[in-house]
Amino acid sequence: MSTHHGELLLITINHETVSLEKRERYSLDDVQIKMLYETLHRSPMLEESLILNTCNRFELYSKTSDPKNGGAIAFKTLASFYNVQREEIESHARIRFGREVIKHLIEVSAGLRSQITGEAEIFGQVKKAYATCQRLGYSGRLINRMVQKGFQAAKLIRHSTQIGEGQINISNVAVDLSLKIFGSLKNTSALVVGTGEIGEKTVKALKSRGASNFGVASHHSGRADEIAEKWGGIPHALGELETYLNDYDIIISSSETDSSLLDARSLGKHMNARKNRPLFLIDLGLPRNMDASCQEIENVYLYNLDDLAKIATDNLSERRAAIKQSEKIAAQKSASIWQMLESRGLVNFQ
Amino acid sequence: MSLLGIEDRQWISLATVVFVVAAALRAYTALKLHRKAKRPSTLMLVSFGWILQTIGLYARGLEYGGCPLSNRFELVQFMVWSAIALYIFVGPAFRVSFLGMFTSTFASVFSILSLTVRSWDSPSRIPIFGDSPWIETHAALALFSYGVFGVLALTSVMYLLQTRSLKQKKMGGLFPYMPSIFELTQINFRLLAIGFFILSASLAIGAVYWFRETESVDLPKLGTTIVVWFAYGILILLRSRQTLSYKQYSWTCIAVFATALLSLEAVDQPKAKESPLLDSTPPARSP
Repeated sequence: MSTHHGELLLITINHETVSLEKRERYSLDDVQIKMLYETLHRSPMLEESLILNTCNRFELYSKTSDPKNGGAIAFKTLASFYNVQREEIESHARIRFGREVIKHLIEVSAGLRSQITGEAEIFGQVKKAYATCQRLGYSGRLINRMVQKGFQAAKLIRHSTQIGEGQINISNVAVDLSLKIFGSLKNTSALVVGTGEIGEKTVKALKSRGASNFGVASHHSGRADEIAEKWGGIPHALGELETYLNDYDIIISSSETDSSLLDARSLGKHMNARKNRPLFLIDLGLPRNMDASCQEIENVYLYNLDDLAKIATDNLSERRAAIKQSEKIAAQKSASIWQMLESRGLVNFQ
Repeated sequence: MSLLGIEDRQWISLATVVFVVAAALRAYTALKLHRKAKRPSTLMLVSFGWILQTIGLYARGLEYGGCPLSNRFELVQFMVWSAIALYIFVGPAFRVSFLGMFTSTFASVFSILSLTVRSWDSPSRIPIFGDSPWIETHAALALFSYGVFGVLALTSVMYLLQTRSLKQKKMGGLFPYMPSIFELTQINFRLLAIGFFILSASLAIGAVYWFRETESVDLPKLGTTIVVWFAYGILILLRSRQTLSYKQYSWTCIAVFATALLSLEAVDQPKAKESPLLDSTPPARSP
């Protein structure tokens, strides 16, 4: 990119440019962000700036009055702030100029540059960063126009492509399926059988969507008590599963077991008493905890690890297909935003 | 009869085109663009079609001086009008996503059918209500309940599609855009209760006249009407007691609605003997 457009620059350190261990040192809290803004703006060459700081990226968007040396000044200031060699920080970062900066901002805001492509959380983080920048008074006409127009483009990408559609991790796929069965999770009860990591993640995901009634079943009552206390819920002995099975709508199982915990025959006995209440069986165990015959019973929906992984993979490939389309929109929009900035005399002012 | 220079059938044809466009757009948005169409846009489009249909039916009604329910074309149109009215006025409270596409598809299919079969629009038996507004109310309520049962059949189809997708683990197609199976079971029960209440009210009004003049209603019409009412009555009982599974319940809703549609054949038959209650001089039909 030509230095001709050096009045708008971006320095980014993210998961694409450097490993987690090295990235960690660039993470800032709110106080440090304020200090960095103050440090940066001691230099009269940096007129406006926006700092984006998330768990996965540090980014500095700046308008400089010295297009030829703007990047060097910014790197020098950052190296001094982080107390590292300028060469080191340069090797961890990428620098962009001109309309590439706008394209990058759009792509970041739309989730295209996120580690989990299409995740929506980043948009809120960029908005928050912009709000902080405005509050502290470091944004000006260029940053304001660029960010506001960039947000519109990011929203367009999210609404007109499949970039954020479908869940791509197993726990969230399970939660989405629960919602397709029960509508709301507020009145549903979930039983967790076994205490594996993936089971815990699924419980967390269910809780985040409103589920509040949990039970924990384990072969060992002490373990069930311990986990029930940790996650919140009622402890049960796994051996008595059939006595409390009907109290639950969702069963998340990741127990180590030699034989199936449930099959069509054992489940069938309970279905009349359930009176058409659906039962969602999430079998995360290896070997499988639920016999495949459970699926034959009406109102029972059985999904094992492979089923959930396949849905997650399908969703991911759909997202990947949407990346090309999204990047095209980002390129078109960044070009038109750049044109608008030029027409207003906000860039190319040398 | 024409209104604003457009014939009643032409108004209804225009409405049908709008219903087809609404259904096609919604399906295209979901299946090709993989996007959720905004509910208000579908609602506005369907409402526009419904207004055009209302004008068409109103023009036809002006010709009779009452509700246009004198032949099979009008019966079907009134049923479609009722189903759309239910979607427009009650649908938003139900918050069933994708109901708009299903309802407009339903409206398109039945409206095209009734427009295509010219013999259904026979002007031979007008008017059917004579000077009794109560019989008109009876007929209008009965047809409105059929509209409700039509929407019930649609939500039953939606339930069956969703459970099939969940069972077969096929998450494509319409699955992401349709409501949860729990919501569909709730809405199905409410629709059954509403439809049954309206049909019962209609039959109660009709019964008062039938007791006074038993020969005013032919046996096939009486029989099929009672069969349909009983079928829905039994269905509501079985659903309340959870005797049927939701899958059986959904299939039964579709089957009973198909039977109810066939019963329109009997309802549309000319009476063996004109009732004195319906005695009036038919106005001349405009060409």
